[in-house]
Amino acid sequence: MTALLQVEAIDVGYGHVGVLENVSLTVDQGSIVALVGSNGAGKSTLLRAISGLLRPRRGRIVFAGTDLAGAPPNRVVDAGILHVAEGRRLFRQQSVDDNLELGLYGARIARSNVAARYARVFELFPVLAERRRSRAGVLSGGQQQMLAIAQALMREPRLLMLDEPSLGLAPIIVDQVLEVLLRLRDGGTTILLVEQMVERALEIADFGFVLQNGRLIGQGPAAELARSDIVTSAYVGAKQHN
Amino acid sequence: MDLDIIPNGLAAGSLYALIAVGFNILYRPTNVFNFAQGDLVMLGAMIGASAMAAGAPWVIALAAAAVFVGLIALLENAVAVAPVVRRSSVSHAWIISTLAYSLIIDNLVGHAWGPDPIRVDPPAPLSTTTFTVAGMRTSSYQIALIVGTALMILLIERFYRTRSGKAVMAVAEDRDAALLRGIDPGRLSRWSFFLGGGFAAVAGLLASPVLYASTQLGPALLIKGFEAAAIGGVGNNRGALVAGWILGLAEALGGSLLSPGYQQASTFVLLLVILLIQPRGLFGQPEARNV
Repeated sequence: MTALLQVEAIDVGYGHVGVLENVSLTVDQGSIVALVGSNGAGKSTLLRAISGLLRPRRGRIVFAGTDLAGAPPNRVVDAGILHVAEGRRLFRQQSVDDNLELGLYGARIARSNVAARYARVFELFPVLAERRRSRAGVLSGGQQQMLAIAQALMREPRLLMLDEPSLGLAPIIVDQVLEVLLRLRDGGTTILLVEQMVERALEIADFGFVLQNGRLIGQGPAAELARSDIVTSAYVGAKQHN
Repeated sequence: MDLDIIPNGLAAGSLYALIAVGFNILYRPTNVFNFAQGDLVMLGAMIGASAMAAGAPWVIALAAAAVFVGLIALLENAVAVAPVVRRSSVSHAWIISTLAYSLIIDNLVGHAWGPDPIRVDPPAPLSTTTFTVAGMRTSSYQIALIVGTALMILLIERFYRTRSGKAVMAVAEDRDAALLRGIDPGRLSRWSFFLGGGFAAVAGLLASPVLYASTQLGPALLIKGFEAAAIGGVGNNRGALVAGWILGLAEALGGSLLSPGYQQASTFVLLLVILLIQPRGLFGQPEARNV
C-alpha cells in the first residue's frame, strides 16, 4: 500500500502550551485509520494541525507528495483533505441544500457534475433528501452528523477526517454512520477516524494509532490493537494523570 | 397633524436604513461593528460634493466617491480590523481600533475641507422642489430616495442568496467551520469592507441634497444608522429597511407633535422600548447555540 498522508514528527501547541510532541503517523491510501486515546490526548489537535487550523511548530505533513504543514485551510481543502469537526459544526441558520452547496465552495467542477454530487450524498444519506429545505439547526443530532459528513463529501475528498462522529448519537445511528464509512472506504476514500468509542472504531478500521498525553504510544493493525492492552493502558494511564 | 411627516419620515428613514445596511455588510463576515461607518459616509459625501463642484456629472461623482471610500475601508480592514481579528476572533479590541480610524478620517477631512457645509444638488431630472400629492408635500428626490433605497437593499439581499453570499453568512455563523470548508474569511472580509465602504459613500452622496455635505454628517448618521441596525436586528438588511422607516417616521412624528427639539429623544425612546421587548431587535434571529 502507498501512503497518502504522512505526518512526520510534528510538535503542535496553543500559545505557549505544547499539546503534541514528536507525533508521526501514516495513513495508507484506501484504508480506514483509527486514532484513539482518552480525552485531552491531542487527537483533535492533530486533526486541526492537518487541516491547517493550527500551524505545527516543527515537522512535516506530507499529503500525496506535498508538504502541507502551515498551509492555510483552503489550500488543504483544495488538496483533497476534508475535516468533519467535532460537534457537528454546520451552518445552522442555512438550509440542508445551502449547507451542501457550501461544501462545493471554491471547488472547480463542471456544472454538469454538480447534480451527481448531490445524488451521491442523498444516496448515502436518504434522510437528507427528505429535508433539503429544512434549516440545519432543526435537524436531529444524527441527521446533523450525516449532513456534516455529506457536506464534506460534496468535495469528493481523497482523505476524509472525522472527529468523534458518534458523539451524542443513538447506537443505531452510530451503526448507520459507521456503515457509510465502510462504504466510502470501499469506494476508494481514505479515512482518518478519531473516536472515543474505541472498540467500534477498531472494528471498522484497518490500522490504528494510540495517543496519550500528546505522544504516540502505540500503533498496529486494528484487530491486533483491539486485543492488546495498550489501548486500555492509554485510558487508565490518562486517568492516573488526572 | 401634518401628513408631510410621512414622506419626510420615510426619506430620512431611508438614509438611516442605508447606513444600517452598511454596518451589516461589514458585520456579517467579521462580527465587527464598524464605528468608522459614519465617517465613511461623510467622506463619501465630501468627495462626491467636491467632484460635482469641479464639474463632474452626478454618476461619475458617485462612482469616484464609492471607489475611493471603498479603498479607504479596505485600508481600515488592513490596519484596524484584520490584525485584531487574526489575533483572536472573540476579542473586542476592534471597538477602539475602528473608533480610532474614524477619528483619523474625521480630522483629515476637517483639515482638507474645513467646517462649512457644501450644498449638493440632486441628479437631474430629480429635484428637491416640493409639490403636493394626496395632501402631502414631497419632492421627486424624496420619492426617488425612498424607492431607490428599497430597491438597493433588495438587490443586496439577492446577493446573499448566491454561493459567495452564503459563504459570508457561513463565516458569520461559524468561522472555524467555514475555514474547514475551504472558505477564506480574510478574502470575504476584504471584499465586504470594499463594498461596505462603497455603499457608505453612496449613502453619503444621497444624503447630501437633504442634509448638506459636511463633517457634521458622520456623527449624526452614525447614531441613527446604529439605531436602525439595532432595531432591525444586527445583520438583517430587510429589518434595517423597516427599522429605518419606523425611526424616520417616529422622528418626524415626535418633531411634529411635540417640538423639533424632541426629534432625537423620540427615536431613542423608541429604540429603548423596542430593545426592552425584543433584545435582538424586531427581526433579529436568536443566536445559534452549540449543544
